[in-house]
Amino acid sequence: MTSGRREVSDIIVNQLAESGISLIASLPDDWVADLIKVVEVDNRFKHVPVYREESAIGLCSGTYFSKTYSAAVMGASGMLTCIYAITKINYTYEIPMFFLVSMRGAIGDTAKYQISNGIYFFDVLNTIGLPYKVLESREQLSEIPRVHRHSRVYNRPSAVILSRELLNGET
Amino acid sequence: MPMNLRETFAYMVSRWTDELVVTSAGHSSGTWWDLTHERDRVFYLTASMSLSSMFASGIAVGNPDIKVWAMSGDGAFVMNPGMLFVERQMNLPNLTHFLVSNKCYGSTEEVDIPFSEHADYTKMAHGSGIERVYSFDKLEDFKDQFDEAVMAEGHSFVVLNVEKVGKEIRTATMDGPEVKFRFGRYVEERTGEAIFNVLP
Repeated sequence: MTSGRREVSDIIVNQLAESGISLIASLPDDWVADLIKVVEVDNRFKHVPVYREESAIGLCSGTYFSKTYSAAVMGASGMLTCIYAITKINYTYEIPMFFLVSMRGAIGDTAKYQISNGIYFFDVLNTIGLPYKVLESREQLSEIPRVHRHSRVYNRPSAVILSRELLNGET
Repeated sequence: MPMNLRETFAYMVSRWTDELVVTSAGHSSGTWWDLTHERDRVFYLTASMSLSSMFASGIAVGNPDIKVWAMSGDGAFVMNPGMLFVERQMNLPNLTHFLVSNKCYGSTEEVDIPFSEHADYTKMAHGSGIERVYSFDKLEDFKDQFDEAVMAEGHSFVVLNVEKVGKEIRTATMDGPEVKFRFGRYVEERTGEAIFNVLP
């Protein structure tokens, strides 16, 4: 892990802890893999790796009925697999949850197989009315608690979308 | 010979004390509702396509002093058997997962699950490392082992082999937000912890 990635991951986990989040469900994407490694060894969090991103929707939605705040970490491609779970659980029952998602398929992504996800990712979020903030620099990471809090006001999910340059520690 | 779902659930209801219950799509939601008409201690999670035990795990991990019963159908289970690995990792001592196996998609006209005659859900659970795994075909056996399989401390996975129902059973007459608020208010009262209108 480069020092830049480590530094950004540390800022993110500190922002998550400041948000009161203590449970993190994850399924790795290349760009959030280092963040997940940092979460795994941080004893402020209970880390639950899942095997389908939808499982994170179920798990994090269930924690709503407790004093445990949770977050789901995944790639944009993974989040796209969750649309039914989000609309079924979080919209039908009006249950908040919080996502941290890598902005795969955007300009700068060199993986051709991610491009098709990027083409429609934001359109899909906009279509289902899921509020999000795109974060592209370290300074913007202080938005994490605010976006998390918004899910509790909105009673549905909210998300921060993290750029490649940010997760690489370049910005 | 598989068990009768209504008789099996009726026995569970007779043993039900203060556990929170999360039902799954189709027959488990409809039958539990039909037997109990309970609006507070049950989260009727309909049509989640395999997420009821994950949802219940979230409730259980956040409320370690409350036992949680999760129900899922085998139609949901085969969509996401990786749920077993998550359950094993979490190993929640207050979670019991009932897999209601009728070898069909109960909420969609009981269409058969292809190849279900070859599926052994208990072997899958054992293979994922879950230690307390039970399977029942006879109601008397279920009654005999209920204390060990369900009431004892520790995560358990319980397969209930039941017959098809053969008719539609309507689930709770509540919309989603009412289910959320009724259930959540009950948990608030039980735990003394606020869930609604609390901002981080």
